[in-house]
Amino acid sequence: MDVPLLSVIVATLAVGTVGTFFAGARARWVALATSLVFLAEVGLLFLTYPGWPGYNGALVPGFAEGESYSWISLSWMHINYTVGVDGISLVLILLTAVLQIATVIYSWAETKRPAAYFGLVLLTCLGCFGVFIALDVLLFFLFWEAVLVPMFFLIGYWGGPNRRYAALKFFIYTHVASIVMLVGLLALVFYSGATSFDFSAMYTAAHGLTGVVPAFLFLALFFGFGVKFPIVPFHTWLPDAHVEAPTGGSVLLAGLLLKLGGYGLIRWAVELLPSGLHTMQPLLYVVAFLSIIWGSVLSLSQRDMKRLVAYSSINHMGIVLLAIALDSSLGLMAAVLLMFAHGIVSALLFMASGSVHHTFGTRDIPEIGGITPTTPTLSTLIMVGSLASLGLPALISFPAEFAALLATWNALAYWVFVPLIILVVTAGFYIWMMQRMLFGPPRGVPLEAHDVPWYEGASMGILAVLAVLFGVLPGLLVNVIMSSPIKGFPGT
Amino acid sequence: MDLSSFAGPFLPEILLFVGVLSVFLLDVLGVRRIEVTGAVAVIVTALALLFVVADLGFAPFAALATVPAGQVNSVGGSAPLYTFTTLGFVFQGIFLLAAFLVSLASMSRPSDERGAPIFFGLLLLATLGMTLVAIASDLIFLLLSIELTSVATYLLVAYTRKDVRALEASMKMYIIGALSTTLSFFGASLLFGAYGTTNLYEIRAVAGAVGSPVLVLLGYGFLMAGLAFKATLVPFHAWAVDVYDGAPTDVTAFLTGGSKKVGLFAFFLVFLGPVLFLAPGAGGSPFSGGTIDLGPIVQITLSILAVVTMTVGNVLALLQKEMKRMLAYSSISQAGYMLIGIAVGTSPALAGATLQMFAHVFMKTGAFLVVAAVAALGVGPLIDDWKGLGTRRPLLGVAFGLMLLSLAGVPLTVGFVSKFVLFSSAVQAQGYFVWLAVAGLLNSALSVFYYARVLKVMFFDPSASAPTPAGAVVGGSGPPALPVGGLGYGRATAIALIALAILVFGIYPQMVLGPIQSAAQHFVAVGA
Repeated sequence: MDVPLLSVIVATLAVGTVGTFFAGARARWVALATSLVFLAEVGLLFLTYPGWPGYNGALVPGFAEGESYSWISLSWMHINYTVGVDGISLVLILLTAVLQIATVIYSWAETKRPAAYFGLVLLTCLGCFGVFIALDVLLFFLFWEAVLVPMFFLIGYWGGPNRRYAALKFFIYTHVASIVMLVGLLALVFYSGATSFDFSAMYTAAHGLTGVVPAFLFLALFFGFGVKFPIVPFHTWLPDAHVEAPTGGSVLLAGLLLKLGGYGLIRWAVELLPSGLHTMQPLLYVVAFLSIIWGSVLSLSQRDMKRLVAYSSINHMGIVLLAIALDSSLGLMAAVLLMFAHGIVSALLFMASGSVHHTFGTRDIPEIGGITPTTPTLSTLIMVGSLASLGLPALISFPAEFAALLATWNALAYWVFVPLIILVVTAGFYIWMMQRMLFGPPRGVPLEAHDVPWYEGASMGILAVLAVLFGVLPGLLVNVIMSSPIKGFPGT
Repeated sequence: MDLSSFAGPFLPEILLFVGVLSVFLLDVLGVRRIEVTGAVAVIVTALALLFVVADLGFAPFAALATVPAGQVNSVGGSAPLYTFTTLGFVFQGIFLLAAFLVSLASMSRPSDERGAPIFFGLLLLATLGMTLVAIASDLIFLLLSIELTSVATYLLVAYTRKDVRALEASMKMYIIGALSTTLSFFGASLLFGAYGTTNLYEIRAVAGAVGSPVLVLLGYGFLMAGLAFKATLVPFHAWAVDVYDGAPTDVTAFLTGGSKKVGLFAFFLVFLGPVLFLAPGAGGSPFSGGTIDLGPIVQITLSILAVVTMTVGNVLALLQKEMKRMLAYSSISQAGYMLIGIAVGTSPALAGATLQMFAHVFMKTGAFLVVAAVAALGVGPLIDDWKGLGTRRPLLGVAFGLMLLSLAGVPLTVGFVSKFVLFSSAVQAQGYFVWLAVAGLLNSALSVFYYARVLKVMFFDPSASAPTPAGAVVGGSGPPALPVGGLGYGRATAIALIALAILVFGIYPQMVLGPIQSAAQHFVAVGA
């Protein structure tokens, strides 16, 4: 394909973002149009990708749609604008496009400086898209940090009562982590003697590293990416940021920003430093189990629905980390699928908790009950989200969690009972939440309460449909992921 | 030798000198309006900048080059006072850029201000001294050029003659400056005693072979202390904050954006050429064979100074409540980053330090110009006085935000690129320099706290009551509001240019990195 599709998408998003900032009252239309074009282009990307059914080419090893231009060229380092996608990035790019459009629709009635709000939403998505396509260390870091600034403003300006503290905490935690990650990546370049900052050059050079160096580099990268995950004990920014962020911000935060951590770990740490992963495996297991257990235990004790979903994110991302740490192709596939699933489901639940807040004036689970007769649409969507989150078959999380547990069983045998038992607890707190909020006699329902407006219903509806679609047909995504040129995958 | 071939290479300097004379002449003739004197300064600095850029060989202007290609990067004659090096041109460009931006912004001051001719005349005079520093290749020529700059800046700080704080700052700067000059000249005289020459190339040729260790060590020690005052390195920094705080803010913008780098560039000349680029271990161990191998000693000293400077600057910046003092301490910490490049001393590190100084012109000059503009709008000196400014004046807020993000080293800004090149060059040099990079990165992380705090205050905190513009009398009629929302054309243009440059050079740095890299390579090859 001759059109540099990836750069075209970057340009689309950049033009759309700038246009949105200056569109004034029509910002939401510009944002929606940009999102639709983005989605269409991502669709095109899928159609031209080998792993998609209906694509009639042979499996192509290497990154598809690759582009590379010299950017900074000095005697001692060569930095290029190199982009490309494989199945893993493609799945997460789809998630970006879907969540962008859902967020724009959900925030349709935003009245507080809408142009700046929609512009920042688009800028966040542009950064995430860039992270998923970048194959050069500096380009990757650039997009990685480009996500941080708009999110800082989204939380800090549009957030809840304690937003300033939360925004500052979010910025500092993630920025410090980014710096450690950058040191790790730079050290990786210079210690491995890679000739350029490109992924392929580093891939070749990094595999020649021996001794303790890869382990230390892996540790730095693991810390850098782990804070975004977030891993226990560096998770405390997450509940604060989530609770204070506006709903759109929470959706992007949970749906996309956490995935950056997972994606980064796979692409820049696991793929580049397999021996480092091997040495550090026990540490990753401990951290993963801690995150799974601690996230779940904290969820149980939450009254605030948004906080509950936030803590359950820690739990789910813990399973993602576990699946990555297993160092098997099945585990890797499960991790990516689970990230996609969690992106859809947590976005749905955060939107639902935002709608609960709009409708009932509170998100406190014990204070409201029996809302189903008043708000049937919202209740249905909460139910779909919760059931998907607890891993009901035929919904999107199930195949992912099943694959993750299977991979855990293959690698760790009876340790699989740790996540398994915790899954039961997760199911417990979601069912308990539904029981208290949705059913029973009405409690704390204001007389004037009515069902969610069309835009909130529509955006959550899109996500619910996707949760069902990919729950029934997970193979669509699995094929794409498994055709990535990663060792152990059938494509290689 | 006819006049044109002698004078041609000095065209930028001659332009500046003519500018100085004409501004003072206009003053005598009674033409004191800022539109005239300011225009002279803007045009002169812009033209000089154009010629320097041409000397660097940028394609569209290369035809205007004033220095014949054969004279660049070659040592003419024996013991020359000056040498045209590519790195010198880069620094002339940096100095002229700062002077140009400050002159442009200063056009927005009240047109009947009394000190205007003095201000612009002294600004040009200081810039003239700085351009001479950039081509110096003799210790005495170097120190005299620095002195020319210093004397002009002492006066510049106090040019209003009314402001007590500025007078105090000027006095402080003068006393410390005199001390530092004394130290530098004393050091230079000791080196003359040791080497029998003050020419930096000749010193480079004989260093390691002659010179008693005591004289050499003392000489370089005094010289380093003297220059460290100019470059505001900790522990020679105490004067700088009071001066930056007390001086009129436009002058501060020039001091931190321009004249402070004179000291750092002098470090390049004095320590890199004659000391570091000698064959390593020419004398074996530091004290062998009656002479001394200064390289490792200088590198370790500079490394320690770098780490101490950036850490102290950052920690103290964290504690500040006033915007100008916060920026002043952050300026000190930036000097620490630049010193990393000098300590590492490889050509990539030099390129990194030079790029950092280039970036610093935009970031710090720009930040102080915004502070001046905001003060003219009637906002108080405390950081908390800036509450809600970003929402009241979004464009100004975004521009200042860009400068702060660039200072913090956030990607897509020129500050990120410069730190990236600088720190990666330290990592690339390996050895203990990796720890310099780590210290630099930790400091960058620390600095994010106070920059982010300003962003938070500007954009998130609810606005205090709208301030009354300076000079406006409540109930009476104040001075007429300036165009562009009270900024004035000059300031608005300068700030807009700076914000644009931060983004453009942040996204595509190759256009300056290329020349800077080749300049650093030439410098390593030629020496001084």
